[in-house]
Amino acid sequence: MNWIIWLGAVLVLVILYMIFKIGNLVGLVKGKKDEEFSISWNNINAYLFMAFMVFGLIGFFWYSFAYFSDYDPPVASIHGKITDDLFWLTMWVTVIAFTLIFIVMFWFTFAYRYDKSRKAVFFADNTKLELVWTVVPAIVLALLILKGLSVWSDITSPASKDAVVVEMVGQQFLWMARYPGTKDKELGHHNYKLIDASNEFGLDLTDKNSFDDFKSLELHIPVNKEILMKIRAKDVLHSVFLPHFRVKMDAVPGVQTHFKFTATKTTAEMREELNNPKFNYEMACTEVCGRGHFSMKFPVVVDTEEDYNKWLASQQSWLSQNPEYMKYVPAELKEAAMIKAGIPLDNAVTVQTAAIK
Amino acid sequence: MATLDVHHQTEIQHHDDHGHDHEHHGNFWTTYIFSEDHKVIAKQFLLTGMAWALIGGVLSVLFRLQLGFPEANLSWLKPILGGWLDSNGKIDPEFYLALVTMHGTIMVFFVLTAGLSGTFSNFLIPLQIGARDMASGFMNMLSYWFFFLSSAVMFVSLFISTGPAAGGWVIYPPLSALPQAIPGSGLGMTMWLVSMALFIVSSLLGSINYITTVINMRTVGMSFSKLPLTIWAFFLTAVIGILSFPVLFSAALLLIFDRSFGTSFYLSDIYIAGEALPNQGGSPILFQHLFWFLGHPEVYIVLLPALGITSEIIATNSRKPIFGYKAMVGSMLFIAILSFVVWAHHMFVTGMNPFLGSVFTLLTLIIAVPSAVKIFNYVTTLWQGNIRFTPAMLFSIGLVSFFLTGGITGIFLGNSAVDIQLHDTYFVVAHFHLVMGSASFFGMMAGVYHWFPKMFGRMMDEKLGYLHFWLTFVGVYLVFFPMHYIGIAGFPRRYYSWTAFETFSGFADLNMLVSVAAIITLAAQFVFLFNFIYNIFRGKHAPANPWNATTLEWTTPRLPGHGNWPGEIPTVYRWPYDYSKPGSKEDFIPQHIPFSETPESNLPSENDQIKLELGGVGTKH
Amino acid sequence: MNEAIDFKIVEEPKKPLAMNPKKFGMWLFMASIFILFMAFTSAYIVRRAEGNWQLFELPKQFLFSTVVIVLSSVTMQLTYWSVKKELTQRVKPMILITFILGIVFLFLQWLGWEEMVGQSVHLVGNPSGSFLYIITGLHGAHIISAIAFLLIVLHKAFQNKFDSVQIEICTTYWHFLGVLWLYLFVFLTLLR
Ligand code: HEM
Ligand SMILES: [Cu+2]
Ligand SMILES: [Cu+2]
Repeated sequence: MNWIIWLGAVLVLVILYMIFKIGNLVGLVKGKKDEEFSISWNNINAYLFMAFMVFGLIGFFWYSFAYFSDYDPPVASIHGKITDDLFWLTMWVTVIAFTLIFIVMFWFTFAYRYDKSRKAVFFADNTKLELVWTVVPAIVLALLILKGLSVWSDITSPASKDAVVVEMVGQQFLWMARYPGTKDKELGHHNYKLIDASNEFGLDLTDKNSFDDFKSLELHIPVNKEILMKIRAKDVLHSVFLPHFRVKMDAVPGVQTHFKFTATKTTAEMREELNNPKFNYEMACTEVCGRGHFSMKFPVVVDTEEDYNKWLASQQSWLSQNPEYMKYVPAELKEAAMIKAGIPLDNAVTVQTAAIK
Repeated sequence: MATLDVHHQTEIQHHDDHGHDHEHHGNFWTTYIFSEDHKVIAKQFLLTGMAWALIGGVLSVLFRLQLGFPEANLSWLKPILGGWLDSNGKIDPEFYLALVTMHGTIMVFFVLTAGLSGTFSNFLIPLQIGARDMASGFMNMLSYWFFFLSSAVMFVSLFISTGPAAGGWVIYPPLSALPQAIPGSGLGMTMWLVSMALFIVSSLLGSINYITTVINMRTVGMSFSKLPLTIWAFFLTAVIGILSFPVLFSAALLLIFDRSFGTSFYLSDIYIAGEALPNQGGSPILFQHLFWFLGHPEVYIVLLPALGITSEIIATNSRKPIFGYKAMVGSMLFIAILSFVVWAHHMFVTGMNPFLGSVFTLLTLIIAVPSAVKIFNYVTTLWQGNIRFTPAMLFSIGLVSFFLTGGITGIFLGNSAVDIQLHDTYFVVAHFHLVMGSASFFGMMAGVYHWFPKMFGRMMDEKLGYLHFWLTFVGVYLVFFPMHYIGIAGFPRRYYSWTAFETFSGFADLNMLVSVAAIITLAAQFVFLFNFIYNIFRGKHAPANPWNATTLEWTTPRLPGHGNWPGEIPTVYRWPYDYSKPGSKEDFIPQHIPFSETPESNLPSENDQIKLELGGVGTKH
Repeated sequence: MNEAIDFKIVEEPKKPLAMNPKKFGMWLFMASIFILFMAFTSAYIVRRAEGNWQLFELPKQFLFSTVVIVLSSVTMQLTYWSVKKELTQRVKPMILITFILGIVFLFLQWLGWEEMVGQSVHLVGNPSGSFLYIITGLHGAHIISAIAFLLIVLHKAFQNKFDSVQIEICTTYWHFLGVLWLYLFVFLTLLR
């Protein structure tokens, strides 16, 4: 598939050839005849503009129609469908405008190329014409804006109460997901000063909501349920990008951002649709964050509700995986913590003694 | 290289309008190095800008090699890149980011701001408004030397061991504030900030001078409604510069304090390199607001001079008045004002208040209207013209084409809902390289081809100009057009490699095409360099008015000395676009020809002005 | 390469200019300083609105310095009038007084900073304090530049040269910095 390169190379060669064939570069060195203005060169340039216009447009339309599916990531979210529609509407409007102006402009350069026998027309202004081409784009843009603003306000409106909450945390150079846990469905507080090698989220264990929070290195979300993604970063700016869901939101240290969306196709459904059994949703980082920016991949799995619940049930709370952190839990909450975190109570003694040491 | 142009100045006795005495027995230093002559300073800006353009271009080819040929072994570049290549001959990912950052900084500030505005504002403002020089030659000289210092600092930063700044040309903190996050944020970033502070001083000195000159030093008769569009563009550019660069300065100053003195303007809640930093209460978003308050106007600082230059060239070479002079001025004015209230369209997905997002969507798309008006006016200027394709004209038409192509994609990006997907992808890269980068670069080239005869008294070779144009024009489209597709597919900017993701792994062909085109385009610039340098020495002598243009600079001698006009400065009687006026024998009437001398072509209203003219001339003596 | 034509420039009749270019340039310079401080105060507002904003008393020295700078504006204006009326013997003392008042202003600002340190408000810490240091510091830096300008004028005055345009520009700049401080003072008092 190196043909594109060839096409480009051939195009360049053709131009070179035309210029060299007719042009006489030697004249430059030898000192040339003093012709003031070369009509033949003028015509060549005019024809080249025409050729550029025709081949350029043909290339553009042909490539776009023939290959566009390669560049159009399938959409799998509710709002994504709507923004895609708006994208395509804008595309049609602008491509039509672009094509017309492009043709007209290059046609003019060609049609009105220099001709000794002609004099240019002294045409300095025309209020009516100018009014038209101010007002018409204004109206078209107004329509696009109206549509855009209504979509935008839907996307940014507050999430519903029963949305599935997931927290995404960015750091150099990986993502982590934190789920609020199955018992309280609330994310516990966090504080960056509590971060250490094991407590990567900076979980604040004096908050009882943190006991059942769990960490995941894959983003699992249920299909057709609203997801509220809360986003933060630990070190520098990052940005959550889920290309198939048309989701993008910066991760900012010290600030919490969020994005809500609803996935419409499970990973399995998408594999079937694309006829690609290896397909996976992916999450990327789109705010430059350093050396590993280009590789901050986070796997994303969209499950059916059933599978999702199964997956949820199989996850262990962070506290149960790091029982030594029980020592940070206030004494009066210790028992509740163990129940919520799913630490068997008969372990209590060992945990307590560990804490004392 | 300003030494190439020799003005014999020892004989000139200069009487300044505003009464301070210059020493004109110029030795080498005062004539070429610390010159206060606007034409020499313009050439200094041009040559420095060209040197930077070459450096910026080479940097871009380096990172395009990485993207287009990820497998390639670049060990042959070892002598230049040294430790930035690993043992397999691959560019280091951090160096990749440094390349991208430096390319952006260099192109935006050093080439397209200083190189473009600095060159042509300096060269054309006095010549086209009929002034002996800038309001303050000394400040003008300082402006260049601050730019030079700024350049020197930035240039040195390319070679330090931790590398130059690498956080993107927008230098968002915390990345740019923390050397732990990326080595480029150490000394390299400090130098970036120092360099930029110097640059801001240079830019302010320049802008103050341009505005003062345009307002106070126009020749008799040169009212604002008779100003060439170039001057309008430079004037508005300078106004925008004065209003926006101080804000960049404030942003940079706060960043300097965060970096070096431990304050927390932009930093909060950071845990990095195994350590929780003490900074609390800062906001990285605050930086983005301050930066883009400059950043967006800056893109117009880059573009407007190019638009002014092309307006002039298109009218001259179509042998027609520019269509809708008032609308052209009006839309530039409107753009200049609106450019201050759209900045947050760069920040739709930073989590800022969604209502603000709506406001900025609205304002952003409004700015597309005057842009569209400008395109329509250019196209209509071509209509029924008698077009001569000089190299300058070719580049001007190229500019309009890029402005159209890139402006269209702004309509996608300005719509916040659509921008969610496109932000920080190659779609944005394609957008701004066409509408700003390439368009302004073409404006600069057009300007060089058009005013070369006035700058150096000689002609450039037209055929080499054609070759340069066609290679560059097609090359630029081949580089940036494919980026739209890659961007729509979601491929993010500033990625060292696309292979880490399945979603983005399918663009090897296009990326290779882009890289090849980039190399060819860069190579084509050497055609220009040859043409430029060779003809400074060997070019055909230029006639006084090679393009049959109407503006005042063509009434000066072939190589104007200090003071520009021997004898009196011409008086201006008419607007600069009397091309192909019905009734007139010639197809152009220069600005200094009174209506009383052209009864055959005067419009009725102009006949009325003849009386005024006589009066005007009378009082002048 | 010696191809430029030698020519003599005929002296121009002076054109009625809209404004002296230097004066005009000073106005533009002041505009850019104004923008600079607008940027800082806007940043201050934006940041303050985000909460986590430490409150402390504005040092009372700033009130005194406000009085001083207003006084210095008066003496500066008197300088200008003296030049205008060609009362040259009054120019030197007036400049001198203005100069001293400028130094006193800076000294009071310094005391203000010490007072802030006394309240444990340091440059490094909550942005509310950092902003105050930066804004007052940057204003002080501009006052220093104005004092330098004043010294140039003073130097000339001692040589009995009175460039009325230069003194007018200096006066304008001085007033501008005074008004700028008034704005900053009111701003900082109202938006704690
Ligand atoms: C038709 C009018 C235009 C509209 C509606 C528009 C809109 C936008 C928007 C919304 C963005 C942000 C995209 C993103 O980061 O997601 C953007 C980026 C940009 N635009 Fe435009 N634009 C227009 C014209 C221009 C012009 C005339 C220039 C330059 C002269 C320009 C230069 C830029 C640059 C440099 C960036 C990217 C900066 C960066 O992120 O590094 N745009 N434009
Ligand atoms: Cu990243
Ligand atoms: Cu912008």
